[in-house]
Amino acid sequence: MAEAGRKIMQLDFSYLVKTFWLCVKAIPVTLEITIVSLLLAVIPALVIALCRIHHIKVLEQFGRIFVSFIRGTPMVLQILIVYSVMPSLLNSFVKKVGLSVNVFDLNPIIYAFIVFGLNSAATLSEVFRSAISAVPKGQVEAALCAGLTPFQTFRRIVLPQATVSALPNLCSITVILIKNTSLAFMMTVREITAVAKIEAAYGYNYVESYIDIFIIYIFVCLTVELIFKKIERRVVFAGVRRAKAI
Amino acid sequence: MNRPFSPVQIWNSFLKIIPYAGVTFGVVFGTIILGTALAILLFIQKKSEKRFVRVLAEGYINVIRCTPSIVLLFIVYYGIPKIALGLFAIDLNFSSKITYVIISLALIYSATLSEIIRSAYLALGKAQYEAAISIGLTPFQAVWRIMLPQGLVYALPNLGNSLISLFKEGSLAFTIGLIDMMGAGNLIISRNYGAYSLETYLALAVIYWVLTLIIEQIFLRLEKHYGRGREENHAA
Repeated sequence: MAEAGRKIMQLDFSYLVKTFWLCVKAIPVTLEITIVSLLLAVIPALVIALCRIHHIKVLEQFGRIFVSFIRGTPMVLQILIVYSVMPSLLNSFVKKVGLSVNVFDLNPIIYAFIVFGLNSAATLSEVFRSAISAVPKGQVEAALCAGLTPFQTFRRIVLPQATVSALPNLCSITVILIKNTSLAFMMTVREITAVAKIEAAYGYNYVESYIDIFIIYIFVCLTVELIFKKIERRVVFAGVRRAKAI
Repeated sequence: MNRPFSPVQIWNSFLKIIPYAGVTFGVVFGTIILGTALAILLFIQKKSEKRFVRVLAEGYINVIRCTPSIVLLFIVYYGIPKIALGLFAIDLNFSSKITYVIISLALIYSATLSEIIRSAYLALGKAQYEAAISIGLTPFQAVWRIMLPQGLVYALPNLGNSLISLFKEGSLAFTIGLIDMMGAGNLIISRNYGAYSLETYLALAVIYWVLTLIIEQIFLRLEKHYGRGREENHAA
């Protein structure tokens, strides 16, 4: 049994530690993909959500089909589709415009932004839709009665309340997005998983590499959750304080 | 793109991929069976009197929630054979890949499912169970005849969502070389020396999309069917 114990400890610990720090260095790439995609997705998501809430004809149908497609197909497939279409599409576009940029030299992270941005636009639009619908109708009517313009009503009355109720969902979407970025290695983006894969293939130390990123992902996701909890608490308390002041 | 887009290829790949739907659904069903067993265990642990057991289950659920499926899949796929070889001197090198896929997906699915069971249980309330026991049902009967039928109604929407995401996550299995629908699609592409990749992926997208919509519809119907009595009760 002692021998068996030693055998299971065949994990190469110096390798484990070395790769761990290599993968830690890739955390910013993962976070960059996550944050940029979310930011890119905010406005399209808001447009889709508003079109669906206000039943704007063609746009509503388009939004529904788009969201259904994104929700109905695996993330891997979306990545593979975009990665097989985008480069040549971009290339012909660049040639037509007459820019002297070689598309195939571009950082593949751009394609990651596109895929994850599209994906987040769909998921975010659902979050926005439910959050905006959750604001009681009386609030909007009261604001309009008080003489606010529709835009002011949206910005000052609906949006602040919707943000509070959207926060928990935003948190889970961000965590899911971080987990999904682990698939960006298929687009040769050098994020956490890609680094681990490259290191693993180098010396067949698969288990060690994947244990490393297992720990890193847990750390990153828990940190993000913690940050969101802090924000949530602050926003809710701010609301309570303001209500009391009034 | 030197080669023109050819819609015929979408149809061709479609026909070649469809036979592999069985493997994809095999993964899903295997995961449901193993995952449900694990989820029930987790649920019982979370209700345990001992704090240690509860914390263990909660920790497990939190860890799983923060782990990308592909990372867990790789750990299971490379880790289990290593442990088996080290501890029991069993060579698992030639065992089937679908087992690893099912194990890793079940580990993920069980965490989600146990939370779904818990929320249905909380919505239902302990009183139902206690009432069933007090009129002389055995604990098994109380769960099987009272808790389960009612709890299922609460759980159905979440169950549908989790099943759809499980179905889509199964597509990651091709990364370890399982030939399910995704794997078949990739095989077709490599047989064509990389040509018609977009067409094949589109065929795959259509298949996954349609199957997801079907699952969604089934769950909507089920919800309507089982929710019927409830609405009448409220109206009365």
